[in-house]
Amino acid sequence: MLTVKNFKKKYHQHEVLKGIDMTIEKGDVVALLGPSGSGKTTFLRGLAFLTPGDSGNIIFDDQKIDIQSATANDIKQLRQKMGFVFQNFNLFANKTALQNVEEGLVIGHKIPKAEAKQIAQEALKKVGLLEFSDHFPSQLSGGQAQRVGIARAAALNPEIILLDEPTSALDPELVADVLQVIKQLADEGKTMIVVTHEMAFARDVADKVVFMDRGLVVEQNEPAEFFDHPKSPRLKEFLSRISAASVANNSFEYEKSSVN
Amino acid sequence: MPPFSFEFFLSVFGEILPYLPITLLIIILSIIFSSLLGSFLAAGGISRSLFWRTVTQSYVFVLRSTPPIVLLFLVFYGFPKLLLLFLNINVNGWQKSVFVVIALSLLFASNLAEVFKAAYLTVNTGQREAALMAGLSEWQAFYRITLPQTIVVALPNFANTVAALIKDAALAYVIGLVDMMGAGNNLIARNFGHHSLETYLALAVVYWVIFIIVEQGTKYLEKYLSKSRAVDTTQSGVTA
Repeated sequence: MLTVKNFKKKYHQHEVLKGIDMTIEKGDVVALLGPSGSGKTTFLRGLAFLTPGDSGNIIFDDQKIDIQSATANDIKQLRQKMGFVFQNFNLFANKTALQNVEEGLVIGHKIPKAEAKQIAQEALKKVGLLEFSDHFPSQLSGGQAQRVGIARAAALNPEIILLDEPTSALDPELVADVLQVIKQLADEGKTMIVVTHEMAFARDVADKVVFMDRGLVVEQNEPAEFFDHPKSPRLKEFLSRISAASVANNSFEYEKSSVN
Repeated sequence: MPPFSFEFFLSVFGEILPYLPITLLIIILSIIFSSLLGSFLAAGGISRSLFWRTVTQSYVFVLRSTPPIVLLFLVFYGFPKLLLLFLNINVNGWQKSVFVVIALSLLFASNLAEVFKAAYLTVNTGQREAALMAGLSEWQAFYRITLPQTIVVALPNFANTVAALIKDAALAYVIGLVDMMGAGNNLIARNFGHHSLETYLALAVVYWVIFIIVEQGTKYLEKYLSKSRAVDTTQSGVTA
């Protein structure tokens, strides 16, 4: 469904992405791991042209884009197929939770207001925040704000959702709720790329785990293989540092909390 | 010098208040034009083009370091010459108030540019990206998401700048404009310099009243805007 070829990005002299190739099939949940500074976020933002890459190709279904010569129209068309969830939520501060979700439906996708409201309420219900519809972002906790952010992205029914460290800005006790919502989307068959540091989550939910380091994809594999039998020395070192032991016999905190 | 006369003090209001509309008109027009120009300058200041950034920075620097009274004279004497020279327009018949409005607009545009720019930069730019990803165009993202928040953030500093403008507008009489201040000065001249204290005190009272209105108006507006739009610009930080 989505193929990326030789994606490169430089900041001044520093080569952040040295040619990334990646293929994502429909329904795949890809977890993107790597130490900070490895270019994960840059890559994700580059896919959506939020910080455009320097060169490479993006092939999304039948749309082929050469990054260097992408027009505003190409980018718009590509973004229509994408949802984006930000690390800092980036909710519209001047709009309520419900309006945050409606905005893209009504203004971006020109869906009639009444219908959009229904879709938006449905989306908020799914993330368990229907009763917070009239709250402004400043009145929500981080975990709630991020769930609204996910509802906002999912309500547009994009073909792929890109999640940029969705739980990194949250207090530990709020992470579980958000991961639960993402897992729910995965179970529904949504295609997603998740940049994350939640190893247990990656292992449990992802179909494929990709390890990036210093601007390159170092290793990619199924979660079990990836975590239990890492091949490259860089990945081994990375996993040992984040204490792979706790990953191996993880007990999925977020499933515990979903009971209530 | 005659002793302070309360009666004279009261009679001054009758002399100067007829000129209040001129003062207010100058203030209001200057606010409008300086806001417009200030918006363009703010846009230039955050533009990606180095050329526009340099142009606006130089403008802001020059204008902010020119004393209002100097600028007033520069515009009054220089502007007609420039127009005559480059556009062959003769402005000798123009009202003096036009020059005052031009000078004040040029001057406060530079202050307002900084106010607008700072306010815009406080509003977390991630919201613009989120809007783009939701299918909004750049323009829609600006006027539906960023602009409403920018206005709320800018309001207190905008009000301060307007306050400074109102006070500087009192300088207009130096080029011979008969506004409220000019009428007061004429009155003193007619009394051969007597009753200056009463006259200036009356002028001060009028300005105090104007300021009470401006202040209360701003407070009300601030309250109204922040109630309907719970703006939170701290959101870009780490919150949980």
